[in-house]
Amino acid sequence: MSEHRHAHPPKKVEIRVKALESLLVEKGLVDPLALDELVDVYEHRVGPQNGAKVVAKAWCDPAYRDRLLGDATAAIAEFGFKGRQGEDMVALENTPTVHNMVVCTLCSCYPWPVLGLPPVWYKSPPYRARAVSEPRSVLEEFGVRLESHVEVRVWDSTAEVRYLVIPMRPEGTEHFNEIQLASLVTRDSMIGTGIIKPPESVQ
Amino acid sequence: MKGAHDLGGKTGFGPINPEQDEPVFHHDWEKRAFALTLAAGFLGQWNLDMSRYARERMDHDSYLASSYYEKWIHGLQTLLVAKGILTEEEIEQRMRQITSDGELD
Amino acid sequence: MKALKEKDVWDVLHRGSSARMATHSTAKFVPGSRVRAKSMNHSGHIRLPEFVQGREGVVASDQGAFIFPDEHARGSKRSERLYSVRFEGDELWGNESSQSPTAVFVDLFESYLETA
Repeated sequence: MSEHRHAHPPKKVEIRVKALESLLVEKGLVDPLALDELVDVYEHRVGPQNGAKVVAKAWCDPAYRDRLLGDATAAIAEFGFKGRQGEDMVALENTPTVHNMVVCTLCSCYPWPVLGLPPVWYKSPPYRARAVSEPRSVLEEFGVRLESHVEVRVWDSTAEVRYLVIPMRPEGTEHFNEIQLASLVTRDSMIGTGIIKPPESVQ
Repeated sequence: MKGAHDLGGKTGFGPINPEQDEPVFHHDWEKRAFALTLAAGFLGQWNLDMSRYARERMDHDSYLASSYYEKWIHGLQTLLVAKGILTEEEIEQRMRQITSDGELD
Repeated sequence: MKALKEKDVWDVLHRGSSARMATHSTAKFVPGSRVRAKSMNHSGHIRLPEFVQGREGVVASDQGAFIFPDEHARGSKRSERLYSVRFEGDELWGNESSQSPTAVFVDLFESYLETA
């Protein structure tokens, strides 16, 4: 349904956006260059590459992992990642017996400084409705099959705390450095709807 | 309030269908809608909870049928009008003008 | 009202605006407290999802105090304590849905909760 909508942009909303922008610019309330800059930040500078660096460091540096689990906001800010929609962060560590995944059932809250803006599926009714009631089926749709003894913990970000999942480090990466590890970390693994497969070179 | 936004555990929505290699924005108007909402928010005339509440008050069917940034724009217009920054009339008039000028093509 | 300037965009995003607030109130619940999410249906903004209303859970952590959103949406700002509450899948969805262990953690304000 959403793909259909994307292939045929709703013209009325496009006109409405243009109308609002032109009126606000005329009144001196919006600077069009500031709009360009806002887009550029989230299109090119802030995204899941940030969270991947945090995860890779947590895998390599036990003291950092402890800081991240103790005070995620401060530990993430060590990289300079902070601010809007990530003011109060909590890190959730996946283990062989616990798998965490994050949703916002009431709107689409998401940790922008570490993951950027959320994908369409995260903001859409199917995920928001089903993540809490049938998380295992949801995970299977993402290709994640967990063993039956693994406890699934779903975190509904109903307030202003934002969650980052620290996925499990894949096997066969013992000799990878932080930069190589960061390149393996996917957006979905940090939402909790993905797991990281061992890199092909070691399979 | 009971609204279409309170989705946890609701049934009948079908599969999730994640898009592979999804871009941050799908259309230029989404970029403008996003940035405009943030920039207008920084005017300090409302807070984030007011923005959420403005989106939640969409009627049930429109909420579920609208994309994320359509909801944002609906919420933004509601707040701009409620705060007296813009009027419905001037927005509608500007939309007619843009349409007749064919600015979109 | 002043328009956001291009040169200020990065700083203002980077600074953010935490909803965390100081509080002098003592916490009504502690980790391990058994609580029930109240059934509430006022017409305003509320961050208490319907699927936990009337359901019992256990306080997993005290998240500190934050701006209370229900009143913030009406323009007034006061702090209230927020808890992460763990609800078992069985309690929320019934036994038939629990193929395997699942729990849902929901961030809930103190006034949404009562002792179970």
